[in-house]
Amino acid sequence: MIEHFKTLLRGEVGTVSLEKPGWRWFGTYCLAIVVGSSVYGATIGLWRAPLQSVFTAMKFPLLIFLTCISNGAVNGMLAQLFGSGLSFKQTALAILMSFAIAAVILGALSPVTLFVLYNAPLLGSANAIVGHSMILLTHVFAIAFAGIMANRRLLDLLRRMTGRDATARAVLFSWLGGNLFLGAQLAWNLRPFIGSPGLTVQFLRDDPLRGNFYEAVWRAFQHLFF
Amino acid sequence: MPNPENPINVLENLLKHPGRVVHELHQKQAPVLAGWLLIFGLIGVAIYGTVVGAQSGGAQMWIAPAKLGLGTLLAVLICLPSLYIFTCLGGIDAQLRSVCGALFAAVCLSSILLIGFAPVAWIFSQSTDSIAFMGALHLLFWVIGIRFGLRLIDATGRFLGARSRGHLRIWSLIFILVCFQMTTTLRPIIAPSKTFLPTEKKFFLAHWFETVNAPNQEKK
Repeated sequence: MIEHFKTLLRGEVGTVSLEKPGWRWFGTYCLAIVVGSSVYGATIGLWRAPLQSVFTAMKFPLLIFLTCISNGAVNGMLAQLFGSGLSFKQTALAILMSFAIAAVILGALSPVTLFVLYNAPLLGSANAIVGHSMILLTHVFAIAFAGIMANRRLLDLLRRMTGRDATARAVLFSWLGGNLFLGAQLAWNLRPFIGSPGLTVQFLRDDPLRGNFYEAVWRAFQHLFF
Repeated sequence: MPNPENPINVLENLLKHPGRVVHELHQKQAPVLAGWLLIFGLIGVAIYGTVVGAQSGGAQMWIAPAKLGLGTLLAVLICLPSLYIFTCLGGIDAQLRSVCGALFAAVCLSSILLIGFAPVAWIFSQSTDSIAFMGALHLLFWVIGIRFGLRLIDATGRFLGARSRGHLRIWSLIFILVCFQMTTTLRPIIAPSKTFLPTEKKFFLAHWFETVNAPNQEKK
């Protein structure tokens, strides 16, 4: 398993693993997502409270799995529409693989984020806002880096599978568009992840399904400019 | 080839022929060699720490070496998992022991250079009361040392067939930032203090600006 992940990270995974997608790989990737994103998620929530850390450790993998499951059908259709020749099972495995790569990278970066957290000014101190900003920036960079690397590896794999760069790019960007669109909304529903100092620690907010991410962005935009 | 069981030979090779050490880190006796490199690295940093502590004297003579040794060990432990993953991302089929060895060799090389700078640092420490000046000088020496250490990691990456050097450069930046922050996490290292560890948490830039803007502190 470790050798397979090293191959994945190096971007040398063969097309064989997708040509005959076995349940073993589904299990392996799911395990990597659970472990990597839970460990990283725990470091996200720890700034607010230990309980928030437990909640975020549970919600981070949940967010990934919900995004994969909800978009599974449309991603499979898009892959076929763009002529990639990938089956639904292969599509699901390829997307899980990219999330597993991101989760492994995030898991490896969690000691660094934990160290940043340890050094952040405590909640209630005069410099708490500096700590919050620093933690936020660290997580943005870590998640962005992991996401970019995971998608680069996915693109490499799609190129090998389809044999055409244009098709691979079309498939990847269609998947990315769908996953980001839904992922943002699911993250909104599953909030809080970091936790607001002024609000109580909760698994979900009292009204998790009220409103949506895009309405909130639009309202923020209106407040800013109108 | 450096004989892993002869520590002096290892240090000599690290300075004269680092490539041989990198090669040896992939042989059977790599764990022994890596162990020596880590021990020498920590001892070297601790020796430099006594010079750092000499600025204030007293208890700082043992507190500074202890903090520098502990800080180096913690920085290595914090950054080791990401180094392993980043080497894989760079296209290297590396073993964990090789990655550990390369990192320990980098720390050891930088600590040897720090020992080389120690007499210079000691002369300045006895001539000035400025904590900010001495802090900047120690930092400059550390940056020079770690520059060579990171170059060794880069060379190891090339030796192992890295396709891209970008990943190791990003990791180097993470390692440097962690080490910078460690100086603030374990402060004060140069000046004396009533407590072993600080009571207030800060990021290193905030701490450095405060130190620069603070009035000169007395030596003792």
